Amino acid sequence: MQITISLHGVFRIGRFKEEVCDYPLGSTAQSIVDDLKISVTLLGIVLINGVHAAAEDILHDGDSLMLLPLLEGG
Amino acid sequence: MKIETTDPVAHPELIYYRRCTVDLTNGEQKFEDVSCQNLEDVLGGFGRSFQLLAQRTISTAYCDENPLIVNTGLLTGSSAMTGLRTYFSSFSPIKGSKAGLPAAMWSTGSGKFGAKFKWTGLDELIFENRSEKPVYVLIKETVNGPQIELKPADHLLGLSTHKKIMALQKEYDNAHFAAIGQAGENWQNVYMGAVALSTENQLKTGEDKLRFAGRGGMGSMMGYKNIIALVAQSSDKNKPLTDAVKKVNRNVVKGGGSARLQPIKRGGGGGTWAAYDVMQPFHAVPFRNYRPQGNNLPEKLFRENVEKNYNIESGACYRCGITCHNYISEKNADGSRGEFIAKFDYEPLNLLSTNIGIHEAGQAGRLIQLCDNYGMDAISLGVTISYTLSYNERHPEKPLLNGATFGDYEKIRELIINAGEGNSPEIGKGSMRLSQSTGETSYAYHVKGLELPAYQPETNPGYCWAIAGAHMTMGTYGMLIREGKSDVDSWVKAITEEKLHIVGFDLIGLCKFFDITQGIGTQMVVDCLKSEFNLEIDPNKIKEAVRRAFLYAMALEFRQGYTKEEFSLPTEVWKNPNPNINLPNITNPEFMAELSEKVWAVFDKELEEIRDNNIS
Ligand code: SF4
Repeated sequence: MQITISLHGVFRIGRFKEEVCDYPLGSTAQSIVDDLKISVTLLGIVLINGVHAAAEDILHDGDSLMLLPLLEGG
Repeated sequence: MKIETTDPVAHPELIYYRRCTVDLTNGEQKFEDVSCQNLEDVLGGFGRSFQLLAQRTISTAYCDENPLIVNTGLLTGSSAMTGLRTYFSSFSPIKGSKAGLPAAMWSTGSGKFGAKFKWTGLDELIFENRSEKPVYVLIKETVNGPQIELKPADHLLGLSTHKKIMALQKEYDNAHFAAIGQAGENWQNVYMGAVALSTENQLKTGEDKLRFAGRGGMGSMMGYKNIIALVAQSSDKNKPLTDAVKKVNRNVVKGGGSARLQPIKRGGGGGTWAAYDVMQPFHAVPFRNYRPQGNNLPEKLFRENVEKNYNIESGACYRCGITCHNYISEKNADGSRGEFIAKFDYEPLNLLSTNIGIHEAGQAGRLIQLCDNYGMDAISLGVTISYTLSYNERHPEKPLLNGATFGDYEKIRELIINAGEGNSPEIGKGSMRLSQSTGETSYAYHVKGLELPAYQPETNPGYCWAIAGAHMTMGTYGMLIREGKSDVDSWVKAITEEKLHIVGFDLIGLCKFFDITQGIGTQMVVDCLKSEFNLEIDPNKIKEAVRRAFLYAMALEFRQGYTKEEFSLPTEVWKNPNPNINLPNITNPEFMAELSEKVWAVFDKELEEIRDNNIS
């Protein structure tokens, strides 16, 4: 299935801003995070189709997945 | 501290803090070991200072009866990571109720002054009345305990925060410094004066790398008292790290809480500045006086864009492994580091750049540098300027002051200089007073008289219940963006239970980044207290003390004339909702009314008890 992945902040370093990628059916956000070797400690926000989601949520063909780092004060 | 018990909950009276009270009119000093009355006293910071402020009846900040209290937390100067905080407490010149009474306020910063202060043997220094002549205060360690001297400060007058500190450094070795800038000296016209705290990095490099106790005008209070600087001179007292504290410190550095703040080269998120990257996808980066327009202009200040033209370095306070600072310098033609410009911490950066229409990193840095050197609170300054620019945009025919508009670097720079030198009371007295004078209060972005930090109020209704600075004393900012929480009950729970615990750090002497999500009622803090002082305490007792301190401060707000109506967001937020912010609308009148009712239903009873027992 095809997933449009957009990365933000430090997750872009050495990766990409936005790409359409193929993943097997039943993939979760977490499996994509693992595949992209994104630091779990830094992962703060997962959005699927613009809606806040959990890392273990299952994606469907055509979904967009946005991964953002933590937001922890300033 | 003198500790004669292992149980600070059952026997706070067996724990004593060393206090000196100085009468600035005649220089008289009184040293005493004060027995703690409760756990808040033991933990320190505002938990202790507010109990003293509550005993005073103060109707204007600039009066002799209003004390300035400088203190530390129990873990300031300890080997617990980030244990560097100093607290300045007083009734505030800038934060005040509509009834015209000043609010009790504290402000805090890191750097190394707090640790040095503690190592002199003193825990608290209270300044009463005011000095007739400008003085600086030397606090020094001697074989007979801490000593205080008031010294003439004429040679420091008119200097910036940084230059004052560098001048004092020439006179005192083994010392760290707290100083006001020209803004604090001009306290009559500047209510947002900050206290600058020296860092090791600053003293070694001679560059203006300061930390600040910025909020609430504590620098203006110092100026009013005619105290130009404080010098804390003592030997360093680093105890060998125990295994327990080593483990805690490792957790702090490696734990999730501080991960985002670590430098990128260490696998971290790159400091507080990285908030830009997280908020921009939601179009929630404050822009032109908190009115994001759904465009990509904020991205110009993304790190990836800034580092093309400027040199970026990370930095840390003394012995802190979190390394949350970013410094921006010019980049030489060969790519090497050029002249240092300023720190790039998220709040000062956004409020003195994107939120005033400046999108060039070097210009932003120069404005931050000016603000730091004049010694003003970057949040209050940035927001009062953005209010002015917004007013001028609405009234091009009759603008305020020099007619500056969004993005006009030269005119904005002029506004900052005029404010810092005390020539622009309109800016110097903050956005609440300025908006009252124009009659256009709806787009003045303050709550209870204190300007908002760089998180859109649309994302944080919890601002209303913050007690001393909207993000540092109510940890709900980011909740909507981070967790997508948009139901009233989650917000009630967050405001009344979990997120108020952020203030615990302002008792105990640690930075919030020690463990921003959990607060101080944790095993990590318990382990530090056991290891450092042989104190045994249940984390829940710490949590109870933090809650009491929070509500005590809120009770004091009501005592100073606040009404519940003042616990509200700027009118523009709900009256003219911003369609560009890509998040659910949780600040509409219906949501806010229900939230308010439910929050007060929780707080009211406890506030009543506090008022009956402690605050008349
Ligand atoms: S977390 Fe940041 S401000 Fe706090 S002590 Fe560490 S480096 Fe300093």
